[in-house]
Amino acid sequence: MSLISFDSVTYHYPDAQAPALSDVSAQVEPGQVILLRGPSGSGKSTLLRCLNGLVPHSTGGRFAGRVQVCGLDTRDHPPRVLGARVGFVFQHPDAQFVLEDVEAELAFGVENQGLPRPLMRKRIEEVLDQVGIAALRRRRIKTLSGGERQRVAIAATLVMHPAAIALDEPTSQLDPQAAEDVLQVIARLVAELGMTTLIAEHRVERVAPMVDRIWTLDRGALTDEEPRTALANGGARPPVVDLALRGGWAPLPLGLREARAHAARLPHRDAPQPEVAPVGPVVVRAEGVTHAYAGHSAVSGASLELRRGEVAVLMGRNGCGKTTLLKLLAGLLRPDRGRVQADRPVAYVPQDADMLLFAPTVREELRDVTPDLTRPFTAWLDRYPRDLSSGERQQLAIAVVAARTDVLLLDEPTRGLDPTIKQALTAFLQTRATAGATVLVATHDVEWAARTAGRVLLMADGEIYADGPPRVVLSDSLVFSTQVNKLIGRGWLLPEEVPV
Amino acid sequence: MSLNPLAWCAWAVAALAVAFVDRNPYLQLVLLMVILNVWLPYRGRATGGYWKVGTLLAVTPIVFSVALSRFGQHVLFRLPDIPILGGRWTLEALVFGASTGAALLLVVAVFGVLQTTVRSADLVSRLPPFLYRAGTVFVLAVAFAPQTVAAVRSISEARRLRGQRSGWRAAPALLVPLLLTTLERAMQYAESLDARGYGSRHRSRYQRASWQPADHLVLAASTVSLLLVILLPPTPYMPYQGLVPPFPTLVGFGAVLLLAFPALLFATRREHHVADLV
Repeated sequence: MSLISFDSVTYHYPDAQAPALSDVSAQVEPGQVILLRGPSGSGKSTLLRCLNGLVPHSTGGRFAGRVQVCGLDTRDHPPRVLGARVGFVFQHPDAQFVLEDVEAELAFGVENQGLPRPLMRKRIEEVLDQVGIAALRRRRIKTLSGGERQRVAIAATLVMHPAAIALDEPTSQLDPQAAEDVLQVIARLVAELGMTTLIAEHRVERVAPMVDRIWTLDRGALTDEEPRTALANGGARPPVVDLALRGGWAPLPLGLREARAHAARLPHRDAPQPEVAPVGPVVVRAEGVTHAYAGHSAVSGASLELRRGEVAVLMGRNGCGKTTLLKLLAGLLRPDRGRVQADRPVAYVPQDADMLLFAPTVREELRDVTPDLTRPFTAWLDRYPRDLSSGERQQLAIAVVAARTDVLLLDEPTRGLDPTIKQALTAFLQTRATAGATVLVATHDVEWAARTAGRVLLMADGEIYADGPPRVVLSDSLVFSTQVNKLIGRGWLLPEEVPV
Repeated sequence: MSLNPLAWCAWAVAALAVAFVDRNPYLQLVLLMVILNVWLPYRGRATGGYWKVGTLLAVTPIVFSVALSRFGQHVLFRLPDIPILGGRWTLEALVFGASTGAALLLVVAVFGVLQTTVRSADLVSRLPPFLYRAGTVFVLAVAFAPQTVAAVRSISEARRLRGQRSGWRAAPALLVPLLLTTLERAMQYAESLDARGYGSRHRSRYQRASWQPADHLVLAASTVSLLLVILLPPTPYMPYQGLVPPFPTLVGFGAVLLLAFPALLFATRREHHVADLV
């Protein structure tokens, strides 16, 4: 018998015309790992929320069909009962935490289960080791890094001994190394415990090698396929699969390990030297900028120049000072030492783009925006901005701020975006830059950076330690390099540029 | 040195009682000194955010009282006969506002000490089962306060980014996005609570309660302080009846000074620790 089954599930959110899920039928066997992919707003989060009954018990709306989890019909059992069967890890770990200490947070779920104290202690000790967070047990959650928080969130779910775990884009907020740490935890759970896992993820290269099935959602309709078939058929797929399809490699490799034998047969040729892109005069200059929050140094002596017509990308691990540097450049913070000069107004789009949107309709948000910027939003003009998907909201926020000036600073704009919207963002930024705009983007998305930027800056410990063309900076790095570069090296970054 | 959360709660209840009941400026000043002395050794790396909020709250009643009240004999100045603000502005109204503001500052300061010293998890785990749900809701509400402050900051920042007015004059425009943001976060919390089995059955406790002699001392001192304030209330200070406050009784001073026990215990423990090291 299947552990989880969807039987002709159709679901409409309250007042929504189109269904969020449309006649979805699928099964999950014990121990399987399922990857959910699909465009922003295609229904991935909704589907995961069906597993523990948050849809429809918490959301309301019209629900037809049946979801069964461990033999329980989710229509008849509330989330507090189903939550013990299917652990749920939210996209934003901070939205999940109830208490302020790691150990108390882990205990919260098992206390709610009414377990005796010795058993709770045993479970907590075990999960601390399983997830590798024993050193964090006495820490306050607000002092943890993004990756540590996500691992605590996973541990807080696992401690309840669920039969399955659902993860809603668990790495979208994390830098590459922290994302790798979290995925290693998930891989270990799968390998050692046979944990049934459903994971929604846009950056599929991170999880493709470990999945048994891929569920592709498109406007609420689900297609359930074997991984190689699904990836060959299109949609979001790892760069190494794009390369394999170009080279006709068979069987289709899902990850680097399977691809290495094929890659060894590629022509042994170095990537061409990067061309020096023509850029204009300096429009923003920071010299020896330093900033500290309550005595904690965030940016220490950073210097950079941004020129007219360039798209630059700023990368570095969580907490290295990227956001602070952007705010200093935008004039939202004052440097403690050093100085920032800007020839023209600087616009900044924060990580949480929701904060920029507070009009009742998209039309009103775009009231002062030029027609060329409003064009992508024609279909949504009468919608409430906060009802849009996260990717759509991000696009809208960028358009709203981009209308004001030609110097754009974007903080993690690709978080939660599907590949199509990311491509549109790349095109938008490059078009703006060609027209004379200056763009600086803080991001963790190495693949997107390699495709979009003319210049990459790496930051650590409040300082910029590398600055140059993507082919130079992103080559031969253990952390900040693309999947193709990890496979081939020699300066190649993207699958479409490699000679096969 | 850490005290049992319930001992801290007893201390806070007594301190709040003194702050509410006694508006005598001498005692308010002594109580403020006591609270500062308690806060300083326990503050760790906490910043003085609560004190900033408290100072802001303390100023608000002064402004309202002096601008709106027309009672009192000592006239500071007169404004022309304009609606609401026109007429006599009096020293009594100013002092009454300051007295109320000081009480608010003391209340915020007491919560600042609690926020620094008591971890919500410890408090929730020590609540009796019938108070567990209310306690969790309270803890979440308290956790929301700093998040709401952060949301206000983000929304103000966002308005500036869009070239719109920020600052206190933009406060009405902040309300809708703030309400929306707060509601969305409340929904997320509710979903998280649901998903983690909150309220599903009889709850058990992970943390064991420990009760040390120091906790007994703080509890006893706080209880005596509370009883003194309730049973032997001080002569009320009414600026409109007389601007010069009466000098407090020894009982009044005693009730306030008893609240310094946590600071005394900390100092004693530290001396012992230093002696051990020597």
